Amino acid sequence: MIIPIRCFTCGKLIGDKWEYFSRRVKEGEDAGKVLDDLGLDRYCCRRMLLSHVEIIDEIIRFYETGKQQQMRPT
Amino acid sequence: MKIQILEKNDISMRLLIEGTNAPLMNTLRRIILSEVPTMAVDDVVILENSSALQDEFLAHRIGLVPLKTDLDTYNLPENCECKSEFGCNLCRVSLVLDVEAEDHTIVVRSSDFKSENPTVIPVSNEISLVKLAPEQKIRLEAYARLGKGKDHARWQSVSMCTYKYKPIISVNTELCNSCGECVEACSRNIITKTGKKIEIRNLENCTLCQDCVKACQETPKAVKSSWDETSFIFAIESTGALTSERILREALNILDGKLVEFLKQLPVKKT
Repeated sequence: MIIPIRCFTCGKLIGDKWEYFSRRVKEGEDAGKVLDDLGLDRYCCRRMLLSHVEIIDEIIRFYETGKQQQMRPT
Repeated sequence: MKIQILEKNDISMRLLIEGTNAPLMNTLRRIILSEVPTMAVDDVVILENSSALQDEFLAHRIGLVPLKTDLDTYNLPENCECKSEFGCNLCRVSLVLDVEAEDHTIVVRSSDFKSENPTVIPVSNEISLVKLAPEQKIRLEAYARLGKGKDHARWQSVSMCTYKYKPIISVNTELCNSCGECVEACSRNIITKTGKKIEIRNLENCTLCQDCVKACQETPKAVKSSWDETSFIFAIESTGALTSERILREALNILDGKLVEFLKQLPVKKT
């Protein structure tokens, strides 16, 4: 749904690292290198970011379009 | 006991502790994991939530946010003089979150929390709590208390606390033919080859995997990998709620308290 606050296994804070991670990966950088830069050295924390899909962005689109339709004059 | 600091900053710490035993190291590890108190939200009053996340989902996320902890000012709720279920100024901090997305989608971050006490704030300002579409709104009050890791993971002060034996790797120069097989096999780059000589460096990174011994073609083996059962490499990584040094100090105080209590209970009561 949305990036978890902490790593499921060890409890390290990861909730503040997703945006930076996804931005750099989208720019074409190697994910492993970005994870190293973020200081995530255990594989439990690394898989949290690597395997994450931000589904809330898809869900929020329904609310956004719903809003636009309401505003459209009939 | 001899303690040498290998690496230390606010978040993490690595120590080489010599002249001790595994039970003591394990005691320290278990106390750090489950007994050192930190601050976390454990009650959330949701006044309004029209976001895409359900109330309990949101409350759970808020609970997991690590907060900077002031152990000198605040008491554990069970030790607080107020004896109140709701808490008082000495055992509870309230944080208010009041955000509304107006005409475009926003991300609600941990920096949007308004804390009653400016020293008790989330460790990072960038933690995304939820996303709000236009006209969605969140209004809630969260109550943070001190708690222990054994009650819930949100109160755990560390994200890692480990110890391992100090590794000993030795190369017998008479048997070694400098083939370099062990250098190739070592995944931690501890064994290096300079000229015809096999050298060992950064020994504390060794995981005692024995790959170097398996790779050695000589019989008997020229490389020997073993460990010192009285020396340990002890590592902590804090969640940011407390400094790594403070965690260790608190753990030792708690251990002291437990030992005093044990001695008090020890004499057999005559009936």
